[in-house]
Amino acid sequence: MSSFLKIAIRNLLKGPSTDTYPYGETFVPKGLRGKIKYNAKACVACRMCEHVCAGGAIQIREVSDKSGLEFILWHNTCAFCGLCEHYCPTKAIRLTEDYHTAHRQEDKYRYVEKGFIKYVPCASCGTPMVPTAPELLNVAYDNVNKDIERLSKLCSKCRKEKVCG
Amino acid sequence: MKKLLQKIAKKSPWLYRINAGSCNGCDVELATTACIPRYDVERLGCKYCGSPKHADIVLITGPLTARVKEKVLRLYDEIPDPKVTVAIGVCPISGGVFRDSYAITGPIDNFIPVDVNVPGCPPRPQAIIDGIVEAIKIWETRL
Amino acid sequence: MTDFVQLILNLLIFPGGLFAVALGLFLMGIDRKIAARLQRRVGPPVYQPFIDLVKLTRKEMVVPGTAHLQAFWFAPLLGFAGMMAAVTLIPIAGVYQGFKYSGDLLVLLYLLALPAIALMIGGSASSSPFGAVGFSREMVMMMSYELPLLVVLVTIALKVGLATGGIATFSLSEIVQFQLENGALLFDYTMLPALLAFLVFIPGNMGVVPFDIPEAETEIVEGPILEYSGTGLALFKLMTSLKMIVVLGLAIALFFPTPLGKNFLVNLLWFFLKCLVLMVIAITVVRTSTGRVRMDQAFKFYLRYPTVLALISLVLTLLQR
Repeated sequence: MSSFLKIAIRNLLKGPSTDTYPYGETFVPKGLRGKIKYNAKACVACRMCEHVCAGGAIQIREVSDKSGLEFILWHNTCAFCGLCEHYCPTKAIRLTEDYHTAHRQEDKYRYVEKGFIKYVPCASCGTPMVPTAPELLNVAYDNVNKDIERLSKLCSKCRKEKVCG
Repeated sequence: MKKLLQKIAKKSPWLYRINAGSCNGCDVELATTACIPRYDVERLGCKYCGSPKHADIVLITGPLTARVKEKVLRLYDEIPDPKVTVAIGVCPISGGVFRDSYAITGPIDNFIPVDVNVPGCPPRPQAIIDGIVEAIKIWETRL
Repeated sequence: MTDFVQLILNLLIFPGGLFAVALGLFLMGIDRKIAARLQRRVGPPVYQPFIDLVKLTRKEMVVPGTAHLQAFWFAPLLGFAGMMAAVTLIPIAGVYQGFKYSGDLLVLLYLLALPAIALMIGGSASSSPFGAVGFSREMVMMMSYELPLLVVLVTIALKVGLATGGIATFSLSEIVQFQLENGALLFDYTMLPALLAFLVFIPGNMGVVPFDIPEAETEIVEGPILEYSGTGLALFKLMTSLKMIVVLGLAIALFFPTPLGKNFLVNLLWFFLKCLVLMVIAITVVRTSTGRVRMDQAFKFYLRYPTVLALISLVLTLLQR
């Protein structure tokens, strides 16, 4: 009984230890897995994220007028596991530290993260292709010289002809 | 007069949890927001009540498995109006990581009218408190 | 005629009715706040029970189809009316005299059994298995805590009766009068075991942890009151807060009723302060520091230690003659 009295008096003196949310700020630990942010300029549409997504939240599909690819991620199936960020070769998809995810039922199907990759024509044959992101070249090569840059503007068939003859 | 009663009565919503086949991750987070002093939910006037007849805000976790579906629907009918339904975690909203399983009967809003969604696997206690605050705003208009 | 009007005013406004309801709910709010602070939380505001009652009147009432309707609605009304009548029997020294008829201690003893009976009738009329379990648990609890209460009341009645030249007085106003003349019974060493027994009886009667077995939330889904919603539940909550006022007022009238001077308001505030201190000792600190006990443990406990303490007081009183 006396040990409880010591705890009781200590509790009364120290005051409440409650987090002040929602009336104030709260702490956010570093590396918290929150909502997704997608950078279309760094994406090479390898579809690795779509393959490993645990909740099946990612869809990459061609738009109806065939001018590019659109990236749709629906947060209401995302399990915030981070596998897409882990396997993306260019780190085009990242998890931010934003945890404010509560929303009303009428916004349920609008709670998405969208992106659009526009096709660029190949420099020699003109077929539309996904542009090569500079991050991909940095991952593959140590220093990127002018030859590599010229090659990166060709589609895969023209590149094969140019390199292998 | 009715507005005055609405304003007073919205400060005491009572919470009730329904576990519709969940993995218990979201239930652990719900227990955290209620029991430990760090995320005290009694400041908002809330209280976890044991009986569905005393409930105002219903917190549902878990994908609706085929075995539990009939019981959850019967239990939902026993909760007196006015009430607000909050779906916690991604499982009740869309099936979550279990969406292709043979045991799941589908997202909960095919059977029950849901008002607030809190995605996350599991969502942070602060996000759950966000969802409860949003639900209180909706509940005030229905009192 | 004025007697009758006085009676109605006592029943409805002061000290019964509005005053007792406001005081009881306010004390319960303070109890929740102090319990939260003892657990290092910020609690709800002190006027939270009032808000709870207003909200409960806005909910619809869902009644089970197979419940016995007359008994279902009779139970909360019985408990509430019984407690409203019981509050008018408690004398507050310097403020309100109580009833001057002999035997009102026995009437109070019977009225104190009414809330438990109301819970039992409500639980069994609900036609639900959890209600039936709550009904049987409430019955066992009532049997176990009524025994020390009876022995304490007989002890005090004997003591005051023997000292004033009769055998036993069962009249609360005479007991209060005796203490105003001869000093409070709190300071009498033979009455200390009885005081301890009464302090242990209070958590069992009020249904707080460690003895909240009939209304165990996590075990039997809130026991006898589980099928009540809306206004029925509000009546049960009001009944609990009025019971707290009756039990605390009875403890103060039996052991320490001395007023502070002759001013009406000062005596009222002194009574409120005594209620608050007694509630913190007997209900709040006990509630936050213990866990629930089992049914057989509670039964054996109440039949051993508080009864033995009260019997020690009884023997000492008889020996003192």
